[in-house]
Amino acid sequence: MSSITRTLIGNGFSDLEKSARFLAAGELEGLDRDALFAGLALANDPDMALQSLVWLIGAAPEVAQRLPRAGAAVDRRNDDDDGASPNEALFRLLGASQALAEFLVRNPGHLDVLDTPISAEPAAVTGAALRTSLLRAVGADPASDLPVAALTGTEAYTALRTQYRRHLTDLAIRDLCAASPLDVMPQVGAELADLAAAALDAALAVARAEAADTHGADAVARVRVGIVGMGKSGARELNYISDVDVMYLVDGGADEAEAITIGTALAAGISRAVNSPGREPALWEVDANLRPEGKDGPLVRTLDSYLAYYRRWAHSWEFQALLKARAMAGDLTLGAAFEESVAPLIWTSSERDGFVESVQAMRLRVTEHIPAAEAGRQLKLGKGGLRDVEFTVQLLQLVHAKADESLRPRATTAAITALMRAGYIGRTDAHALDESYRYLRVLEHRIQLRHLRRTHLMPVAEEELRSLACAVVGPLRLKRPGADALLEHWHRVKRRVRDLHENIFYRPILAQAAHLSADDVQLTPDAVQARLAALGYRDAVGATRHIQALIGGVSRRAALQRQLLPVLLDWLAQGVDPDAGLLGFRRVSEALGTSHWYLGMLRDHQAAAERLCHVLSSSRFITDLLEVSPEATAWLGNDKELVPLTFEAQWQEIQSKMSRHPDPADAIRLIRLIRRRETLRIAVANSSGLLDVDKVAAALSDADQAAILGALLVAEADVYGDSPPKTRVLVVAMGRQGGRENGYDSDADVLYVHRALPGADADEAQQQARAIVAKLSALLTQPLKPAIQAERVLVLDAALRPEGQQGPLVRSLEAYREYYARWSLPWETQALLRARPMAGADDLAADFMALVDAIRYPAGFGEADGREIRRIKARVESERLPRGADPARHVKLGRGGLSDVEWLVQLIQLQHAHEVPGLRSTSTIAALHAARDAGLVAFDDAEQLEDAWRLASRVRNANVIWTGRTSDTLPSSRADLEAVARWCGYEPGAASRFEEDYLGVTRRARAVFERVFYG
Amino acid sequence: MDRQQEYVLRTIEERDVRFVRLWFTDVVGSLKSVALAPAEVEGAFEEGLGFDGSAVEGLARVFESDMLAQPDPTTFEILPWRGETEQTSRMFCDILTPDGEPSAADPRHVLKRSLAKAADMGFTCYTHPEIEFYLLKSAEPGPDGVPVPVDQAGYFDHVPGGVAQDFRRTAVTMLEKVGISVEFSHHEGGPGQNEIDLRYADALQTADNIMTFRTVIREVAIQQGSYATFMPKPFTDHPGSGMHTHFSLFEGDTNAFHEAGAEYQLSKTARQFIAGILRHAPEFTAVTNQFVNSYKRLWGGGEAPSYLSWGHNNRSALVRVPLYKPGKWQSARVEYRGIDSAANPYLAYAVLLGAGLKGIEEGYELGPAAHEDIAALSAGERRALGHDPLPSSLHDAVRQMEESELMPEILGEQVFEYFLRNKRAEWQDYRLQVTPFELRRYLGVL
Repeated sequence: MSSITRTLIGNGFSDLEKSARFLAAGELEGLDRDALFAGLALANDPDMALQSLVWLIGAAPEVAQRLPRAGAAVDRRNDDDDGASPNEALFRLLGASQALAEFLVRNPGHLDVLDTPISAEPAAVTGAALRTSLLRAVGADPASDLPVAALTGTEAYTALRTQYRRHLTDLAIRDLCAASPLDVMPQVGAELADLAAAALDAALAVARAEAADTHGADAVARVRVGIVGMGKSGARELNYISDVDVMYLVDGGADEAEAITIGTALAAGISRAVNSPGREPALWEVDANLRPEGKDGPLVRTLDSYLAYYRRWAHSWEFQALLKARAMAGDLTLGAAFEESVAPLIWTSSERDGFVESVQAMRLRVTEHIPAAEAGRQLKLGKGGLRDVEFTVQLLQLVHAKADESLRPRATTAAITALMRAGYIGRTDAHALDESYRYLRVLEHRIQLRHLRRTHLMPVAEEELRSLACAVVGPLRLKRPGADALLEHWHRVKRRVRDLHENIFYRPILAQAAHLSADDVQLTPDAVQARLAALGYRDAVGATRHIQALIGGVSRRAALQRQLLPVLLDWLAQGVDPDAGLLGFRRVSEALGTSHWYLGMLRDHQAAAERLCHVLSSSRFITDLLEVSPEATAWLGNDKELVPLTFEAQWQEIQSKMSRHPDPADAIRLIRLIRRRETLRIAVANSSGLLDVDKVAAALSDADQAAILGALLVAEADVYGDSPPKTRVLVVAMGRQGGRENGYDSDADVLYVHRALPGADADEAQQQARAIVAKLSALLTQPLKPAIQAERVLVLDAALRPEGQQGPLVRSLEAYREYYARWSLPWETQALLRARPMAGADDLAADFMALVDAIRYPAGFGEADGREIRRIKARVESERLPRGADPARHVKLGRGGLSDVEWLVQLIQLQHAHEVPGLRSTSTIAALHAARDAGLVAFDDAEQLEDAWRLASRVRNANVIWTGRTSDTLPSSRADLEAVARWCGYEPGAASRFEEDYLGVTRRARAVFERVFYG
Repeated sequence: MDRQQEYVLRTIEERDVRFVRLWFTDVVGSLKSVALAPAEVEGAFEEGLGFDGSAVEGLARVFESDMLAQPDPTTFEILPWRGETEQTSRMFCDILTPDGEPSAADPRHVLKRSLAKAADMGFTCYTHPEIEFYLLKSAEPGPDGVPVPVDQAGYFDHVPGGVAQDFRRTAVTMLEKVGISVEFSHHEGGPGQNEIDLRYADALQTADNIMTFRTVIREVAIQQGSYATFMPKPFTDHPGSGMHTHFSLFEGDTNAFHEAGAEYQLSKTARQFIAGILRHAPEFTAVTNQFVNSYKRLWGGGEAPSYLSWGHNNRSALVRVPLYKPGKWQSARVEYRGIDSAANPYLAYAVLLGAGLKGIEEGYELGPAAHEDIAALSAGERRALGHDPLPSSLHDAVRQMEESELMPEILGEQVFEYFLRNKRAEWQDYRLQVTPFELRRYLGVL
């Protein structure tokens, strides 16, 4: 017993118990055991081979005759010239494909296929031979121009499919016995495509015979049908099992309508012959969905109809699909005419509008839609998968093949060779790419061959992985490789493919830019320009200059950037403005010089480098700040650094700085630097998706508050000097700062209150307060020496104080009390709704707020007051909007913009905050929610208002981040719109949709506003 | 450069074309034209022709007025009325923003977008318009302040040696020369009123054809010393000029409106399409009937349909399902009778198609067909049967359009906004007028 176990293990069996059981089966009786094991050892999966053999002998006892009998003296090693075992074909086949073994079980008549001559370098069977064989199988004359089958219906389908599978088996045997699976991969793919073409030809012959019954033989004979292969069928690199992508062309001479009708019937007939359920199972799906208008379009068209469509309607990606179009079956002259007519459309597609976008869409297709469960097992999708290789190759073809016809082969492997010969891919890279592609395809072939099932997933079961490991190495293996080795190799290949894309695309650009001649690729300046343009760089000359600057010289930085730049260029190209991104990168890089952590970050923190590229190519605001504080680049690699500092933390820092730098000029400088730093931190965190619009607003508000508090203390100390203070000043936040709703460009709206200290003279106190306030404002805005670059100066705006610009800048608490008791205009009351103490003495703050609360939450807000508010709003609408501005696009004052929502909420607050405590909030959204919960605004209305308010706030922030300048309008240039759309969370290419959304959201909000506010 | 563009350039060369007019349409439907020298055409194909869009109604905002007109080479035609020497030709243009995106304010683009939506749902849309217009002796009204028609004939009347007959013959010949196939032409109900029916074509081509048609008709009239007007209702006492349009949707080569054996052979798709049109008609009437004068036609009696209803061969219904010969299922279609001859065809077809598609998308239910003359019913009967009225004035129509969520979706927010603004202004101007009616009625007695 133990000897059997040892033998099984020695021969690569996995399921010992089951295989031992099968070995004892009656079917194997009388066979020579040693010879049997020698044969099974050849199989990639000996367990499966053994089981299949037992079944096969059960169905066809003559198989046993092929195997050496026990006791018969056979010299197994020398009976064949090339040293192969006579049954090598049988065992290799059974060890690789259960599905084909089942085919032989079903059709023992085809066992002679096992006598296929095998060779280390197998010859291909020609397409013509396959066509002849399959046409004969259905009784059609291969020599005829329009072969018509003698058989129809189930009988024809069975004959066709059986013959197809016979050839498939034959091909599988030759493939499995070839010395190097990687070498024969392209040949196998081509023969599979030819076999599919032959099957389509035979199916068409059957369909013609069937259609003759309904349409008449003469009519059917008048219609020529061309079948154009698309995708892998077109490229002649088909899989063992996959959909066969086609398009049908018809030509019926004079009667186009008839041709379409009959053509459609024939196409349906082909599908039926190949793919209807039957005794001999269906082959594969004939997929015509790449045709114009997809599955909704007509199944067949005339050549003119195709061309009319491509000229007028086709999307950019459809031309990319045509890259693979090839006359495959049916009437080849018709197909050839198609190929010829569409060729110019394909190769000029890089000049078409939207080419760059469609390239980006192509790039997305590489990584799209991978179910999480499959992510680790995908051969086809994902970075480093088959589609990644195909994307690289096709993109290079589309960019360069317009000028160079030698680059137009359809098959991936042939295209790689052509690109290498023409000098567009370096020799080493080309070999690596080619080998990786073949390797992945062989894996895919072997996985699919097992059950003839369409799959692109690596198996999970250990024994399948082991058999796959054998299969990839081929018959010349010395020992059986394990599953670990296979997975390790596969991951290595995936990594290599991932890197190759950037290398192949950008490395030659670098070489050309820097006049390096390290590689054998020599791109012309035109070719460099074409490549950069295809990826979205508009100023290719400028880009080349930046690249030169970044990689020139012998510094460590230049050497490192030479290594990294291909990847960085790709990331930058995914931003809105790659040119600006590259320039920004150059500036940051030059500013950081040789600091070791920067180089380390680039080298070791991919995510950080990617973030940096993203920020640089989509934000002028951040780029400017990074340039003057490049050390902040370090935050990119560390999310912890990107959490905004709390107000308390900033305040602590400011206090400690102030204690060490008593000189006001030094102190205020440090305070303003802290604010600039925090603004940058918030923007970077925002860009990395770590902060939403509400958190950004709160964080910006904190940063401003800390700066103002610090400045106030500096101002007080300065004004008091050595004499005892006469008064204390309180800064009250108003407006957006009051509601903690800051944007990157917000001024701080404030009120100043003071209260004389006991015993101080009121006039002197007032005078001192005025001095403090003036100093405070000056400290924050005055230019400093040396200047603080790229700072967005914090302007204090006290325009909302009583009597506006006419009123005194600062008043005492008593003066406020008096003023409000006597006057108080409705707009002043309204402004107070957002009052929030920000800096100054706590007791003064408490007293002031108590005073203010009584005014802003009035017990009786009369109808007349409401009317006055409405009137002011109406006047503001007509007067405040800048001249020439489009009201629909003004985020602040435009229709449905910030001011509409805020005024509406504030009106409700004035009317109801007295009895609804929830309304007593300085935050617009919190008050809106309270109004909704109290039933003062309908649920849907509140939602529309909130949407509009948030979107407008986002647009306002995005404007600043993208351009570095304040703007209150929705941009109208496409590039600006695209950038702002992305900052508002839209995916690339959604600028138009974003514009429509904005206009729609604000229009609806305006409708709500008009109804609720004006009544 | 594609083959169609090459064809255009070659024809310009061979036929010695001296001027190439680039045509486009503003939001209210006026034809705009820029003339190019032949040498500049190639550049216009490649890069578009820059122009200042701010001067064109609704095209651009003042602060970003640069626009590009990109000629569509498939619309190239020689203009026959300009004579054989020094030939003039025209192409329709798409309007692009400076960065090459379709301009959201280009009516042609609005229709293209609706058609693209139809295509996404698997449909191709065909339309065939019946265009009515009046031939007048001149653009100036007669001594009594009423326009003077060229004849006094009526429906289908044959007028021996009549101006109108000559006119129609010349016009039809001219139309055929610019590639517009005419199905039918005859004298209509009013004096001097004519109708010319164009053969069906895809909706974009039909809209282009209608713009060309209006130009051809005006040119021919001028050549013959008369004046043609597409004003919806030039005479108080005679019928207005409508532009009934037949719509059909095809899925591949199958007519999606046809279903053998169903009521009136109408498929479910067709019923949903009609239901969509009827439900949204009050919202889009401001587009299909865009002038103050349009409502004089809608509510001026005669055959003009003013209530939401559909029927089989019912000439008082807003949507009519015409009879067609048995076996001719390809001709299954529905006719919308509300549009008038002065509508902007791009926008009108876009909203009609969009409303119909909405009906299909949402699976609207269609009520029963109307068999009686709806205008003859009492108001109570109409209400009971659910025949709500269309808007009664431009003001009313604008109000109903403002409430719509579907219209901004079809037209795009920008056209929607601009269109409403423009129509509000028109209503405002109209309200200020003291009309001859008021003078006649009140001046003597008050």
